[in-house]
Amino acid sequence: MWLPFSATFQRNYLVMKRAFPWSFFLGHILSGFYIIIFAYLSYFFVFKKDLSSSFSTYAGTNDYLSYVILGGLLYSFSVSLLMIASRALITELREGTLESLLLTPSSRKGYFLGYVAQGLMRVCVEFAVITSAGYFFGLHLHHINWPGVLSVLVILVAATFSQALVLGSFMLYFRDTYITQNTLFVMMGLVCSITFPASFLPDGLRWIGNIMPLTYGVDALRMVWIEGKPLVETIQLLWKMIILGLVYFPIGSFLIKRMEKYVLEKHFG
Amino acid sequence: MRILSILQAEVVKSHQHNFHNKLIYFSLLIWPALLFVTAYYSFKPFNLSSSSQLSKYMDVNQITMYLLTGYMCYIYFWSLVQSAWNMSYERQAGTLELIFLTPVPRLTVMFARAAGNMLEAVWLFTAFTLLVLLTTGHAGEIHWWNVPVAFILLSISAIVWGGFLNIVFLFSRDAGILFTIFEEPMQFFSGVRIPVLAFPLWGKIIAFFFPLTYVLEIFRDLVLNGKGLVELGEQSFILFCVLALLCTASVFLLKKAEIHAKETGNMVLF
Repeated sequence: MWLPFSATFQRNYLVMKRAFPWSFFLGHILSGFYIIIFAYLSYFFVFKKDLSSSFSTYAGTNDYLSYVILGGLLYSFSVSLLMIASRALITELREGTLESLLLTPSSRKGYFLGYVAQGLMRVCVEFAVITSAGYFFGLHLHHINWPGVLSVLVILVAATFSQALVLGSFMLYFRDTYITQNTLFVMMGLVCSITFPASFLPDGLRWIGNIMPLTYGVDALRMVWIEGKPLVETIQLLWKMIILGLVYFPIGSFLIKRMEKYVLEKHFG
Repeated sequence: MRILSILQAEVVKSHQHNFHNKLIYFSLLIWPALLFVTAYYSFKPFNLSSSSQLSKYMDVNQITMYLLTGYMCYIYFWSLVQSAWNMSYERQAGTLELIFLTPVPRLTVMFARAAGNMLEAVWLFTAFTLLVLLTTGHAGEIHWWNVPVAFILLSISAIVWGGFLNIVFLFSRDAGILFTIFEEPMQFFSGVRIPVLAFPLWGKIIAFFFPLTYVLEIFRDLVLNGKGLVELGEQSFILFCVLALLCTASVFLLKKAEIHAKETGNMVLF
């Protein structure tokens, strides 16, 4: 497993240095940045800091700007990660290297982990850029429980990775990335408590948020970041993320294996 | 007659290109509908009672109608950004060269392409808007006799904007970045989600550069507030100037690029 891991990591690192579509990088940063600037404009200029009383009840905080900025930050974090992991195989298919990948006896686990580990380098840079942009628009950076933030992120990465496997197999089935990924992302923007607490939504829509790791991740991150609460208080949210990850992982691995066969039968001689 | 046949050809092309795959309905209907719902709920954290700060700029009870008209006009303009973005594929695939070898007027092709793509892309969301109006019982708030005028105005402005973008994308090498620049800023700076009047000065300056800002203002006054075109004379005049400017820029750019192409044998100007 170690060999395919390091080989994939090194290859992708070279690709990133030499031929990465940097507009993706910029696009992810901007998508987080736009959420921030929109919240800033509506909070200060349209509503003049006049919040509804139900907001603090649902959100557990009165700090609207930090609430939305962390939402935008984690949304773009999650979207980047989903794109990196789910587009891995379909990119190989498009570039014509999938056949040779399937012919090698290398472990698929190592391959995916290498892919994600390298992608995380880029995601972390995006994270840092959006955080510093958020700081200028009113995200506070004191009393943060940093070890808590780190643990939430690690669990979120693992759960999102499992979700990306499922998304990736849909992409292989439809042979499409644009529509499949963006439908999921637009949906996540609605149901995952990004710019407003999901409790405002009618029940019919809210349950969709319950199957997204991001919903729990963003709530847990806000608790340890805005309020500086200890990790113990978020334990329930963390468990939900872990369980979602454990559910998605076997489904994703199974579907990916099936799709590899399907793609091979359908698109190769 | 000739213009109509070019228009028909472009509609058929766009239809065959896009509708072979059922997934197109996601981008035509599901995404805009979800964005509209998200925008609606993004207002919820704020005070929306009658004492709301928002009531300085608009009637708080009209938020649904405000967003619905906003998103519908946005879809008209946005669909044309998408269609212009596809222009680069047409250049790569070589169909553009074939079109340019035929004796059709270039300018007509560019504007007909915009019109054809717009017709194909907006009918579904327009129908969705009507459906929302009827099911939520807001249909009575609309000034229906102004609706045809408003739609004609919206379509003409969108086509002029689309033709201009087509020409810009036609002659530039990497247009993908424009996609990122136009998508969301157009949504909030041109007043789709929040009123432009509430912005600080720098926000108003950005809004000034999107033709959608002017169209939306007139569209809402016509359809929601029931004003006549005569009352909106000043705004209509400004919109007319903006459109005239876009047309002139289109003609100029197209001429320049064609001369450049004849000299160097290369379509890439920027």
